[in-house]
Amino acid sequence: MDSHDHPHDHSAHAEITDAAPGYYEIMETAVRELLIEKKLISPGEIRRQIEVLDSRTPALGAKVVARAWVDPAFRARLLADGRAACEEFGISFYDDTLLIVLENTDKVHNLIVCTLCSCYPRPVLGLPPDWYKAKPYRARAVKEPRKVLAEFGTEIPEDVEIRVSDSTAIVRYLVLPQRPAGTEEFTEEQLAALVTRDAMIGVVRINLEATNAL
Amino acid sequence: MSQTTDLLRKLPNDIGGLPAERIERTDHVLEPWEKRCHALADVLDFHKILNTEEKRRGVAALGAEMVSKLTYYERWIAAFAFILFEKRILTPDELARKMAEVEARHAKAN
Repeated sequence: MDSHDHPHDHSAHAEITDAAPGYYEIMETAVRELLIEKKLISPGEIRRQIEVLDSRTPALGAKVVARAWVDPAFRARLLADGRAACEEFGISFYDDTLLIVLENTDKVHNLIVCTLCSCYPRPVLGLPPDWYKAKPYRARAVKEPRKVLAEFGTEIPEDVEIRVSDSTAIVRYLVLPQRPAGTEEFTEEQLAALVTRDAMIGVVRINLEATNAL
Repeated sequence: MSQTTDLLRKLPNDIGGLPAERIERTDHVLEPWEKRCHALADVLDFHKILNTEEKRRGVAALGAEMVSKLTYYERWIAAFAFILFEKRILTPDELARKMAEVEARHAKAN
Protein backbone atom coordinates (compact mmCIF):
# COMPACT_ATOMS: atom_id res chain seq x y z
CA MET A 1 0.00 0.00 0.00
CA ASP A 2 2.51 2.56 -1.15
CA SER A 3 3.51 4.21 -4.35
CA HIS A 4 4.34 0.75 -5.67
CA ASP A 5 0.71 -0.05 -5.96
CA HIS A 6 1.52 -2.00 -9.05
CA PRO A 7 5.05 -3.28 -8.71
CA HIS A 8 5.24 -5.62 -11.68
CA ASP A 9 7.36 -4.54 -14.58
CA HIS A 10 4.90 -4.39 -17.43
CA SER A 11 7.48 -3.66 -20.09
CA ALA A 12 8.94 -7.07 -19.29
CA HIS A 13 5.91 -9.08 -20.24
CA ALA A 14 4.62 -6.81 -22.97
CA GLU A 15 6.38 -9.00 -25.52
CA ILE A 16 5.11 -12.29 -24.21
CA THR A 17 1.83 -13.00 -25.91
CA ASP A 18 1.09 -16.51 -24.64
CA ALA A 19 2.23 -15.96 -21.08
CA ALA A 20 0.59 -18.30 -18.60
CA PRO A 21 -1.88 -16.35 -16.47
CA GLY A 22 -0.74 -15.47 -12.98
CA TYR A 23 -2.19 -16.93 -9.79
CA TYR A 24 -4.59 -14.06 -9.15
CA GLU A 25 -5.73 -13.93 -12.74
CA ILE A 26 -6.56 -17.65 -12.49
CA MET A 27 -8.43 -16.89 -9.28
CA GLU A 28 -10.46 -14.18 -11.02
CA THR A 29 -11.44 -16.58 -13.81
CA ALA A 30 -12.30 -19.33 -11.32
CA VAL A 31 -14.45 -17.11 -9.07
CA ARG A 32 -16.29 -15.69 -12.06
CA GLU A 33 -16.93 -19.10 -13.63
CA LEU A 34 -18.17 -20.58 -10.35
CA LEU A 35 -20.60 -17.70 -9.84
CA ILE A 36 -21.84 -18.12 -13.41
CA GLU A 37 -22.28 -21.89 -12.91
CA LYS A 38 -24.33 -21.15 -9.78
CA LYS A 39 -26.40 -18.72 -11.87
CA LEU A 40 -25.69 -15.87 -9.49
CA ILE A 41 -24.34 -13.74 -12.32
CA SER A 42 -24.29 -14.11 -16.10
CA PRO A 43 -21.43 -13.75 -18.60
CA GLY A 44 -23.46 -11.12 -20.47
CA GLU A 45 -23.55 -8.93 -17.38
CA ILE A 46 -19.76 -8.99 -17.07
CA ARG A 47 -19.36 -8.14 -20.76
CA ARG A 48 -21.87 -5.30 -20.52
CA GLN A 49 -20.18 -3.86 -17.44
CA ILE A 50 -16.79 -3.95 -19.17
CA GLU A 51 -18.38 -1.91 -21.97
CA VAL A 52 -19.78 0.52 -19.40
CA LEU A 53 -16.35 0.88 -17.78
CA ASP A 54 -14.76 1.47 -21.19
CA SER A 55 -17.33 4.16 -21.97
CA ARG A 56 -16.46 6.24 -18.89
CA THR A 57 -13.54 8.59 -19.39
CA PRO A 58 -12.66 12.10 -18.19
CA ALA A 59 -14.07 13.38 -21.51
CA LEU A 60 -17.55 12.93 -19.99
CA GLY A 61 -16.73 15.02 -16.95
CA ALA A 62 -15.14 17.61 -19.24
CA LYS A 63 -18.42 17.97 -21.14
CA VAL A 64 -20.29 18.49 -17.88
CA VAL A 65 -17.82 21.19 -16.82
CA ALA A 66 -18.00 22.98 -20.19
CA ARG A 67 -21.80 22.97 -20.05
CA ALA A 68 -21.71 24.41 -16.54
CA TRP A 69 -19.41 27.20 -17.78
CA VAL A 70 -21.74 28.23 -20.61
CA ASP A 71 -25.13 27.57 -18.99
CA PRO A 72 -25.67 29.23 -15.58
CA ALA A 73 -28.97 27.43 -15.00
CA PHE A 74 -27.28 24.05 -15.59
CA ARG A 75 -24.42 25.11 -13.33
CA ALA A 76 -26.91 25.89 -10.55
CA ARG A 77 -28.59 22.51 -10.97
CA LEU A 78 -25.20 20.76 -11.05
CA LEU A 79 -24.13 22.39 -7.79
CA ALA A 80 -27.49 21.65 -6.17
CA ASP A 81 -27.55 17.94 -7.15
CA GLY A 82 -24.59 16.66 -9.13
CA ARG A 83 -26.04 13.28 -9.90
CA ALA A 84 -29.42 14.58 -11.09
CA ALA A 85 -27.76 17.18 -13.33
CA CYS A 86 -25.38 14.60 -14.84
CA GLU A 87 -28.27 12.20 -15.42
CA GLU A 88 -30.22 15.00 -17.10
CA PHE A 89 -27.13 15.49 -19.27
CA GLY A 90 -27.32 11.82 -20.30
CA ILE A 91 -24.72 10.29 -17.98
CA SER A 92 -26.16 7.25 -16.23
CA PHE A 93 -25.00 6.27 -12.76
CA TYR A 94 -24.44 2.56 -12.57
CA ASP A 95 -23.84 2.61 -8.83
CA ASP A 96 -25.63 3.92 -5.72
CA THR A 97 -23.40 6.94 -5.26
CA LEU A 98 -24.28 10.59 -4.73
CA LEU A 99 -22.26 13.22 -6.56
CA ILE A 100 -21.37 16.53 -4.96
CA VAL A 101 -19.85 19.07 -7.34
CA LEU A 102 -17.43 21.50 -5.72
CA GLU A 103 -16.95 24.84 -7.42
CA ASN A 104 -13.56 26.51 -7.50
CA THR A 105 -13.67 30.29 -7.14
CA ASP A 106 -11.22 33.16 -6.58
CA LYS A 107 -11.49 32.40 -2.86
CA VAL A 108 -11.68 28.59 -2.72
CA HIS A 109 -9.74 25.78 -4.38
CA ASN A 110 -11.13 22.25 -3.99
CA LEU A 111 -9.27 18.97 -3.95
CA ILE A 112 -10.75 15.47 -3.74
CA VAL A 113 -9.27 12.36 -2.17
CA CYS A 114 -10.31 9.03 -0.69
CA THR A 115 -8.18 8.52 2.42
CA LEU A 116 -9.69 5.10 3.23
CA CYS A 117 -9.39 3.45 -0.18
CA SER A 118 -10.08 4.59 -3.76
CA CYS A 119 -13.60 6.05 -4.00
CA TYR A 120 -13.87 8.24 -7.08
CA PRO A 121 -16.64 9.71 -9.29
CA ARG A 122 -16.38 6.76 -11.70
CA PRO A 123 -19.60 7.37 -13.67
CA VAL A 124 -18.26 10.75 -14.86
CA LEU A 125 -14.46 10.26 -14.84
CA GLY A 126 -13.90 6.54 -15.33
CA LEU A 127 -11.46 4.68 -13.10
CA PRO A 128 -8.96 6.62 -10.96
CA PRO A 129 -5.24 6.83 -11.80
CA ASP A 130 -2.92 4.65 -9.71
CA TRP A 131 -1.47 7.60 -7.77
CA TYR A 132 -4.95 8.46 -6.50
CA LYS A 133 -5.17 4.97 -4.95
CA ALA A 134 -1.64 4.94 -3.55
CA LYS A 135 -0.58 5.83 -0.02
CA PRO A 136 1.29 9.13 -0.54
CA TYR A 137 -1.68 10.97 -2.04
CA ARG A 138 -4.25 9.43 0.32
CA ALA A 139 -2.18 10.10 3.41
CA ARG A 140 -0.92 13.59 2.64
CA ALA A 141 -3.73 15.36 0.72
CA VAL A 142 -5.73 15.98 3.91
CA LYS A 143 -2.71 17.06 5.95
CA GLU A 144 -0.57 19.20 3.67
CA PRO A 145 -2.59 19.95 0.54
CA ARG A 146 -0.41 22.90 -0.51
CA LYS A 147 2.69 20.71 -0.53
CA VAL A 148 0.82 18.00 -2.41
CA LEU A 149 -0.40 20.51 -4.97
CA ALA A 150 3.13 21.87 -5.37
CA GLU A 151 4.26 18.34 -6.31
CA PHE A 152 1.73 18.51 -9.16
CA GLY A 153 3.19 21.88 -10.15
CA THR A 154 0.21 23.77 -8.77
CA GLU A 155 0.76 26.90 -6.68
CA ILE A 156 -2.36 28.23 -4.98
CA PRO A 157 -2.10 31.79 -3.63
CA GLU A 158 -1.99 32.00 0.18
CA ASP A 159 -5.22 33.99 0.31
CA VAL A 160 -7.14 31.22 -1.46
CA GLU A 161 -8.63 28.66 0.91
CA ILE A 162 -7.96 25.01 0.05
CA ARG A 163 -10.80 22.62 0.84
CA VAL A 164 -10.12 18.91 0.75
CA SER A 165 -13.13 16.60 0.43
CA ASP A 166 -12.75 12.98 1.52
CA SER A 167 -14.88 10.60 -0.56
CA THR A 168 -16.84 7.66 0.84
CA ALA A 169 -18.50 4.55 -0.57
CA ILE A 170 -21.69 6.58 -1.05
CA VAL A 171 -20.59 10.20 -1.46
CA ARG A 172 -18.33 11.10 -4.38
CA TYR A 173 -17.02 14.51 -5.40
CA LEU A 174 -16.13 16.27 -8.65
CA VAL A 175 -14.30 19.59 -8.85
CA LEU A 176 -15.77 22.25 -11.12
CA PRO A 177 -12.62 24.11 -12.16
CA GLN A 178 -12.56 27.85 -12.86
CA ARG A 179 -13.05 28.82 -16.47
CA PRO A 180 -9.78 30.32 -17.62
CA ALA A 181 -9.65 33.95 -18.69
CA GLY A 182 -9.36 34.50 -22.42
CA THR A 183 -11.91 31.84 -23.35
CA GLU A 184 -14.90 34.17 -23.80
CA GLU A 185 -15.12 33.36 -27.51
CA PHE A 186 -14.66 29.60 -27.12
CA THR A 187 -17.36 27.16 -28.16
CA GLU A 188 -18.59 24.60 -25.62
CA GLU A 189 -16.60 21.94 -27.44
CA GLN A 190 -13.40 24.01 -27.34
CA LEU A 191 -13.95 24.60 -23.64
CA ALA A 192 -14.44 20.87 -22.96
CA ALA A 193 -11.08 20.18 -24.65
CA LEU A 194 -9.36 22.32 -21.99
CA VAL A 195 -10.73 20.33 -19.05
CA THR A 196 -8.46 17.54 -17.80
CA ARG A 197 -8.99 14.69 -15.37
CA ASP A 198 -6.49 16.21 -12.94
CA ALA A 199 -8.33 19.55 -13.01
CA MET A 200 -11.53 17.73 -12.00
CA ILE A 201 -9.69 16.00 -9.14
CA GLY A 202 -8.38 19.44 -8.22
CA VAL A 203 -4.63 18.76 -8.37
CA VAL A 204 -4.12 21.20 -11.24
CA ARG A 205 -5.75 24.40 -12.44
CA ILE A 206 -6.65 24.96 -16.06
CA ASN A 207 -4.09 27.21 -17.62
CA LEU A 208 -4.77 28.38 -21.14
CA GLU A 209 -1.10 28.82 -22.05
CA ALA A 210 -0.20 25.37 -20.84
CA THR A 211 -2.88 23.47 -22.73
CA ASN A 212 -2.04 24.27 -26.38
CA ALA A 213 -5.59 23.24 -27.09
CA LEU A 214 -5.91 25.63 -29.99
CA MET B 1 -4.39 7.63 24.95
CA SER B 2 -2.73 4.23 25.03
CA GLN B 3 -1.11 2.70 22.01
CA THR B 4 -3.72 -0.05 21.79
CA THR B 5 -6.54 2.49 21.82
CA ASP B 6 -4.81 4.19 18.91
CA LEU B 7 -4.71 0.92 17.02
CA LEU B 8 -8.45 0.50 17.39
CA ARG B 9 -9.29 4.07 16.51
CA LYS B 10 -7.17 4.08 13.41
CA LEU B 11 -7.52 0.88 11.40
CA PRO B 12 -4.75 0.04 8.90
CA ASN B 13 -6.46 1.56 5.88
CA ASP B 14 -7.26 4.79 7.74
CA ILE B 15 -4.13 6.58 6.57
CA GLY B 16 -5.39 10.13 6.11
CA GLY B 17 -2.93 12.53 7.74
CA LEU B 18 -0.05 10.10 8.14
CA PRO B 19 3.39 11.09 6.90
CA ALA B 20 4.20 9.56 3.51
CA GLU B 21 6.65 9.86 0.69
CA ARG B 22 6.56 12.21 -2.28
CA ILE B 23 3.78 11.62 -4.80
CA GLU B 24 4.83 9.75 -7.91
CA ARG B 25 2.30 10.23 -10.69
CA THR B 26 1.93 6.53 -11.37
CA ASP B 27 -0.67 5.00 -13.62
CA HIS B 28 -1.10 2.01 -15.92
CA VAL B 29 -3.60 0.72 -18.42
CA LEU B 30 -5.61 -2.05 -16.80
CA GLU B 31 -4.80 -5.57 -17.93
CA PRO B 32 -7.82 -7.45 -19.30
CA TRP B 33 -8.15 -9.56 -16.15
CA GLU B 34 -7.99 -6.44 -13.97
CA LYS B 35 -10.84 -4.91 -15.94
CA ARG B 36 -12.81 -8.17 -15.65
CA CYS B 37 -12.17 -8.12 -11.91
CA HIS B 38 -13.53 -4.58 -11.70
CA ALA B 39 -16.59 -5.53 -13.75
CA LEU B 40 -17.10 -8.58 -11.52
CA ALA B 41 -17.11 -6.33 -8.45
CA ASP B 42 -19.70 -4.04 -10.02
CA VAL B 43 -21.92 -6.94 -11.07
CA LEU B 44 -21.71 -8.49 -7.57
CA ASP B 45 -22.73 -5.09 -6.21
CA PHE B 46 -25.73 -4.89 -8.60
CA HIS B 47 -26.90 -8.27 -7.31
CA LYS B 48 -26.40 -7.15 -3.69
CA ILE B 49 -23.95 -9.99 -3.16
CA LEU B 50 -21.03 -7.75 -2.22
CA ASN B 51 -21.04 -3.98 -1.74
CA THR B 52 -18.27 -1.36 -1.75
CA GLU B 53 -18.00 -1.22 2.02
CA GLU B 54 -17.70 -5.02 2.31
CA LYS B 55 -15.05 -4.94 -0.42
CA ARG B 56 -13.05 -2.30 1.44
CA ARG B 57 -13.33 -4.22 4.72
CA GLY B 58 -12.42 -7.45 2.93
CA VAL B 59 -9.22 -5.88 1.63
CA ALA B 60 -8.34 -4.54 5.10
CA ALA B 61 -8.94 -8.03 6.53
CA LEU B 62 -6.19 -9.44 4.30
CA GLY B 63 -3.75 -7.90 6.76
CA ALA B 64 -0.95 -5.41 6.38
CA GLU B 65 1.53 -7.73 4.70
CA MET B 66 -0.80 -8.87 1.90
CA VAL B 67 -2.13 -5.34 1.48
CA SER B 68 1.40 -4.06 0.96
CA LYS B 69 2.61 -6.86 -1.32
CA LEU B 70 -0.36 -7.58 -3.58
CA THR B 71 -1.34 -5.24 -6.40
CA TYR B 72 -4.68 -3.43 -6.28
CA TYR B 73 -6.76 -6.01 -8.17
CA GLU B 74 -4.89 -8.94 -6.61
CA ARG B 75 -6.13 -7.61 -3.26
CA TRP B 76 -9.64 -7.32 -4.64
CA ILE B 77 -9.94 -10.87 -5.96
CA ALA B 78 -8.35 -12.33 -2.82
CA ALA B 79 -10.82 -10.33 -0.69
CA PHE B 80 -13.78 -11.42 -2.85
CA ALA B 81 -12.81 -15.07 -2.39
CA PHE B 82 -12.72 -14.74 1.41
CA ILE B 83 -16.00 -12.81 1.48
CA LEU B 84 -17.71 -15.40 -0.74
CA PHE B 85 -16.45 -18.17 1.60
CA GLU B 86 -17.83 -16.29 4.59
CA LYS B 87 -21.18 -15.88 2.90
CA ARG B 88 -21.19 -19.61 2.09
CA ILE B 89 -21.55 -18.82 -1.60
CA LEU B 90 -18.30 -20.62 -2.43
CA THR B 91 -16.18 -23.12 -0.54
CA PRO B 92 -12.38 -23.13 -0.49
CA ASP B 93 -12.35 -26.65 -1.99
CA GLU B 94 -14.57 -25.63 -4.83
CA LEU B 95 -12.37 -22.65 -5.64
CA ALA B 96 -9.17 -24.73 -5.47
CA ARG B 97 -10.65 -27.31 -7.85
CA LYS B 98 -11.83 -24.64 -10.28
CA MET B 99 -8.46 -22.88 -10.20
CA ALA B 100 -6.70 -26.15 -11.01
CA GLU B 101 -9.12 -26.67 -13.87
CA VAL B 102 -8.52 -23.16 -15.25
CA GLU B 103 -4.77 -23.63 -14.99
CA ALA B 104 -4.93 -27.00 -16.76
CA ARG B 105 -7.05 -25.48 -19.51
CA HIS B 106 -4.42 -22.78 -20.13
CA ALA B 107 -1.58 -25.32 -20.07
CA LYS B 108 -3.42 -27.43 -22.67
CA ALA B 109 -4.11 -24.40 -24.89
CA ASN B 110 -0.39 -23.63 -24.96
